[in-house]
Amino acid sequence: MTQTRRDVMAATLGLTAATGLTVRIGQAQAPAEVKVGLLVPLSGPWARFGEIMRRGAELAVRHINERGGVAALNGARMRLVVLDAGDSTEKAKNAAQRMVAQEPDMVAATGAYLSSFTLAATEVTERAELLMLTLSYSDLITGRGFRYVFQTSSRAGDQAREAIPTLMQLAQSASGRRPETVGILTDNTAASISFVEPIRQEAQARFGVRVVVDETFTPPLSDATQLVQRIRSRRPDMLIFPVTVISDAKLVIEKMNEFGLGRGRLPTIANGIAVAQTDMLQNVGAEQLEGLMTVVANWDAKGQEQIIEEWRRETNEPWMTQNAISTYGDMWIVKYALEAARRADRNAVAQAIRTMDVTDGPAAYFPGRRIKFDANGLRENAGLMVVQWQGGRPVTVYPSQSAVAEAVWPRRT
Amino acid sequence: MPMAQLLEDVLQALNAGLLVGALYGLMCVGLGLIFGVMRVINFAQGDFMMCGMYAAFYLFTALGVQAAFGPYGGPYIAAILAGPPLFLFAWAVHRLLLSRVTGMRVTALEGEGHYAQLLLTLGIALILQNGGLFVLGSVPVSIRTPLSSSAFEIGPLLEDGYLTIFVNKARAIAALVSVAVAIGLLLFINRTRLGKTLRAAADNPQAAIYMGIDVERAHRVAFALGVGITAIAGGLLASSYPFTPYVGLEYVIVMYAGVVLGGMGSIGGAFWGGMVIGLIQQLSTLVLPTQLQNTAIFVVFLLIVLLRPQGFFGRSVERT
Repeated sequence: MTQTRRDVMAATLGLTAATGLTVRIGQAQAPAEVKVGLLVPLSGPWARFGEIMRRGAELAVRHINERGGVAALNGARMRLVVLDAGDSTEKAKNAAQRMVAQEPDMVAATGAYLSSFTLAATEVTERAELLMLTLSYSDLITGRGFRYVFQTSSRAGDQAREAIPTLMQLAQSASGRRPETVGILTDNTAASISFVEPIRQEAQARFGVRVVVDETFTPPLSDATQLVQRIRSRRPDMLIFPVTVISDAKLVIEKMNEFGLGRGRLPTIANGIAVAQTDMLQNVGAEQLEGLMTVVANWDAKGQEQIIEEWRRETNEPWMTQNAISTYGDMWIVKYALEAARRADRNAVAQAIRTMDVTDGPAAYFPGRRIKFDANGLRENAGLMVVQWQGGRPVTVYPSQSAVAEAVWPRRT
Repeated sequence: MPMAQLLEDVLQALNAGLLVGALYGLMCVGLGLIFGVMRVINFAQGDFMMCGMYAAFYLFTALGVQAAFGPYGGPYIAAILAGPPLFLFAWAVHRLLLSRVTGMRVTALEGEGHYAQLLLTLGIALILQNGGLFVLGSVPVSIRTPLSSSAFEIGPLLEDGYLTIFVNKARAIAALVSVAVAIGLLLFINRTRLGKTLRAAADNPQAAIYMGIDVERAHRVAFALGVGITAIAGGLLASSYPFTPYVGLEYVIVMYAGVVLGGMGSIGGAFWGGMVIGLIQQLSTLVLPTQLQNTAIFVVFLLIVLLRPQGFFGRSVERT
């Protein structure tokens, strides 16, 4: 078979046309923007926490877009779609329903701050096969066999199991005496209960302490007199105080000061970010907070100075709480997954996150500096941080690779 | 010494109940006055209280009360000064909105205009909450005073250091101011001519009109005064309790329970209703888990409604 010049020309033109068409189809498949959801409380008592998450996400999206967007999608820009989870699990679930119904092209979402909100919202996102990243702590979140929920934080129970022995060691080396008795004062939110359960169940066997007072309350408190009175009368060596509402934190801390238990006289370990929010300075004051520690899943830390400085400039917030840094990091995880998936498709992005194992890029914004999720969606070796109020600022004191200051065990006076 | 310990727990709970209860009492007095005179169920009362808290906060921090009176006297001056602006605000709300669905003009309507009143006050509540979030933001604030973390120590009353009662200074002063304001209101209602017109407008609006009383004006005074008094209660609370624009939701149920317990229409009863709520809330923790302290309030509330539907001081018959 001989090829004429005409045949060659036709084949060349056909190939050119086909290539051009392929390029055009490829360009058509890459959207101009990729939608990412942020489902957080922006009204009601938890609005402040959601607001911080919104600012963290907005900063990340701005950074991603300024640096060229998603390269694998021809520089598609990321667009944040913000939904208000409100002040109840019902509203959080409704917001999640709106999100999946109104934004069918959304590739991923993050939220919803309170574990109870996250548990409700992910019931909806799971059915819609929309991947949801979360910083919530509850052990239940990744314990339900869901395939589209990814928990970047260490679970509250794991935090307690890791943090309490560390803090006991710290107490012994600082004061020469290991705490023998412990008091528990917790609200009844899902994350707080998950944190105290291992202490309740394994106090003696695992931690070598005896629980002498154990009080659970429903937030918000109207007065903390009775709770602190019980702590005062049982005199534990250490107080475990998971709390999620700032008004509760103020009432208890001020009451402890009133009863002569504050300012380090009773070493107090909180869980979660409420006691380390900037708002605590305005409402309680640095002098009453000095020495107070809290176990958190993430905080601003060594190596993040540049982003912290920019955060300060942008928001006038003096430091990045877990909500800010984790939500900032979540946006980078989604961006990284989009680059790997090379498609703005929620299933492809979820699959990319399932197989993700990175120690750079988004990993810089999480303790452990590695992003790898197990089969349940829990980040492996997520680790934790211990933050302590020192000199009017909550600073990271554990783990050592992230710490910016030495931990100081309060001495009883 | 378990007996002394138990006694200390009981006295401490009683002390906390009285201090919290006095403040609840003042909140309830404001609502009780509005309901007693106007027969309006004001769902926005908690949100007017929130406005009072913010008014006290800004008076204290930005408008010079702290500079003039310091962190000890300033919070209470600011709380009292929060009353007049909220009085004027409520006056305007009544003049422009509430007067259209209350008073003599709606007596002939189905349900005496209660449906419209419910919708309107609920709407005002939503506007205040969400407008507050928009204008004031979500950052929780409070009036900072050293008094909120210090106490008058009574004791030890027994040997070996047992039986010491801590009376929180901020709450104690707030309770005293609450009692003083409530007494002042009672004197105003019972001893002044304007107070008597309010009572007349409450007892029989039709007859009051025949006697030359401007019932609509009396309603306006009652509404503004009720809001102003609850605003003062909010200002007093602001030194011990961080608040956001949604704080009203946490207290409006307590206010209604107190008013119903005391007897709808009785201002003194509303104060005692609030006091009883505070006492139940704190004393219940001696025998029940703390998680159930608000449940205990409503169990007692339901019992009283069942056994004495008119409340402690309410009238058992419909007004004429």
